[in-house]
Amino acid sequence: MAAASSLCPASSAAAALRPGARLCTGRRASCFGASLARRNAGVLGQKSLFGSVCARRGVVSCTLQQSADALVSNGIGSTSCTKESALILIRHGESLWNSKNLFTGCVDVPLSQKGVEEAIEAGKRISELPVDMIFTSALIRAQMTAMLAMTQHHRQKVPVILHNESERAESWSRIFSDTDEVIPVVTAWQLNERMYGELQGLNKQETADKFGADKVKEWRRSYDIPPPNGESLEMCAERAVKYFVENVVPELEAGKNIMIAAHGNSLRAIIMYLDKLTPKEVIELELSTGIPMLYTLKDAEFLRRGSPVGPTVQGVYALTQELARYRDQSNPLNGTIH
Amino acid sequence: MASVVSLCRSAGFHERVVSCVEGRHSGVGGSFGLRSGVAFGSGVGSLRRSDGCTSSGGRLSGGVGRLEWRVAVVAKVRRSGDEVVTQANGAPASKTESALILIRHGESLWNSKNLFTGCVDVPLSEKGVNEAIEAGKRISDMPVDMIFTSALIRAQMTAMLAMTQHHRQKVPVILHNESERAEAWSRIFSEGTDDEVIPVVTAWQLNERMYGELQGLNKKETADKFGAEKVHEWRRSYDIPPPNGESLEMCAKRSVEYFKKNVVPMLSAGKNIMIAAHGNSLRAIIMYLDSLTPQEVIELELTTGIPMLYTFKDSKFLRRGSPVGPTVAGVYALTKVRDQLEF
Repeated sequence: MAAASSLCPASSAAAALRPGARLCTGRRASCFGASLARRNAGVLGQKSLFGSVCARRGVVSCTLQQSADALVSNGIGSTSCTKESALILIRHGESLWNSKNLFTGCVDVPLSQKGVEEAIEAGKRISELPVDMIFTSALIRAQMTAMLAMTQHHRQKVPVILHNESERAESWSRIFSDTDEVIPVVTAWQLNERMYGELQGLNKQETADKFGADKVKEWRRSYDIPPPNGESLEMCAERAVKYFVENVVPELEAGKNIMIAAHGNSLRAIIMYLDKLTPKEVIELELSTGIPMLYTLKDAEFLRRGSPVGPTVQGVYALTQELARYRDQSNPLNGTIH
Repeated sequence: MASVVSLCRSAGFHERVVSCVEGRHSGVGGSFGLRSGVAFGSGVGSLRRSDGCTSSGGRLSGGVGRLEWRVAVVAKVRRSGDEVVTQANGAPASKTESALILIRHGESLWNSKNLFTGCVDVPLSEKGVNEAIEAGKRISDMPVDMIFTSALIRAQMTAMLAMTQHHRQKVPVILHNESERAEAWSRIFSEGTDDEVIPVVTAWQLNERMYGELQGLNKKETADKFGAEKVHEWRRSYDIPPPNGESLEMCAKRSVEYFKKNVVPMLSAGKNIMIAAHGNSLRAIIMYLDSLTPQEVIELELTTGIPMLYTFKDSKFLRRGSPVGPTVAGVYALTKVRDQLEF
């Protein structure tokens, strides 16, 4: 993992400070736009564990020597863990039912040609960002989006979907060589689009005819009212965020760079969690399709980094030192490290 | 004739079908007619018209010419093929004819690295993506009522990418039955929409041959680990499996069994089927369709991304070749059909 190997941006300063030993100094505010600074350690919902988590991470992530360990555990530099992970969120593009304006939900329809192109474009934008692991939903349009995006990736590690639906599936898909060049892909129904129940397959007109325009508006605009036999946004958010916290966050904390390819509702539920939005705010939130969104997790905080306009244009992306370094290393045509 | 034309139009077929029906295409020797468009076999221009062809689309008049018969079949496709074509005198004519399209997926990210892939679920490379889209263009005018793929993403992507090019624009929908929740959650509640859906069934039995302990290894590693001769033996034999893997025979057994149990009944019911799968599972199926010997199947190499067409009629499979493109009939072999239709 290129990103993991250069974990201490302050290493030059550290070398001056203590020859032969790497020391994590305090957080470098210049790395991150202060305006992007996020709210508190409660992000992980585990305030009480914050200190120990960070110290543990500090020990694990930086190849600290014994003396440095002691310093960290004594509190110096305790908020400086330099391990930083990237989190890329991509909402899939147009599906064959989007173009027909049908409520899709969990019906497993594939991408349209336009959606295919959107996925490839998205891939170009993240082609120089590190990706160690991928999570997608159980629906083909999200999986295709992830796989198409990765065809553009410079690092050319190979995504491999993990199978555990049966013993046979698991044993048949085993790899017998070194798997360093593999990006594990986990598919999870918990990242599926919101399940729209009896609306699935109906178009707007049919839905209004069948249930009344007011009811439809209510389902669209409410947080906790589900359509018949379907999920409310709240229910969708609950299972998506739970999955995120239990399965994705530990990987990020371990320093893995993660990409999630999913759907409008499951992703905005996760963003609601990352950005601490209110229900009202999340209802208003519209995610563009095919435009990757970048967050970084550092010191147990999620920082929003915006959406990359392109791999070489930093503009909307506030790349951190680590990410900039990765980007420069991933493509020899890129400029020098900042 | 006019009634048949309007039938085809209202059935939503590509304009090319309509023009064929109107006899504008003079046809090229060797073209195949089930494809919903394109040039028909030679002699089209000289076919007699049928007066008895009704708008119900399922009836043939006496003295039926090839053109009307084929149009009737095409119209039947629209109704997913459950009707039996009858002649005007009431006697059943040939039973329904169904199309079977086989597509082997294109380059995967491990193909380009020359690694034994087997059942490791790696996706397509950019080249493989383009191959799938190209394959889709070649079958864009062919009827597809149902799709079968393996459980591996590279075959599923191939099918879905190919269908983005399909003219009929019915929407493939993957059926989920891995759990009760998956089944309940993926339900469609609109009947009208149901008609516009192409069910997609994923089956591990159509997976690539499982290569056991070779999976992930490159050619050199394999030769180093097991010896070049052993590797050669596994490649060239029919029934010797690599360690913890499948022999070609084992792979053939489970794919052909699946094909017979699940695909053939659909073909018999008149459904036009597309299978997107892998080198070994597909050549196993072809071994069955063409009655090949083990020796012959070992020699058989399927080109990637080039669709292969068979038709199923009277419980027999006829090999039709590979469409070079939706408008070029050339490679499609038609002779047998022509023989059967001569009165």
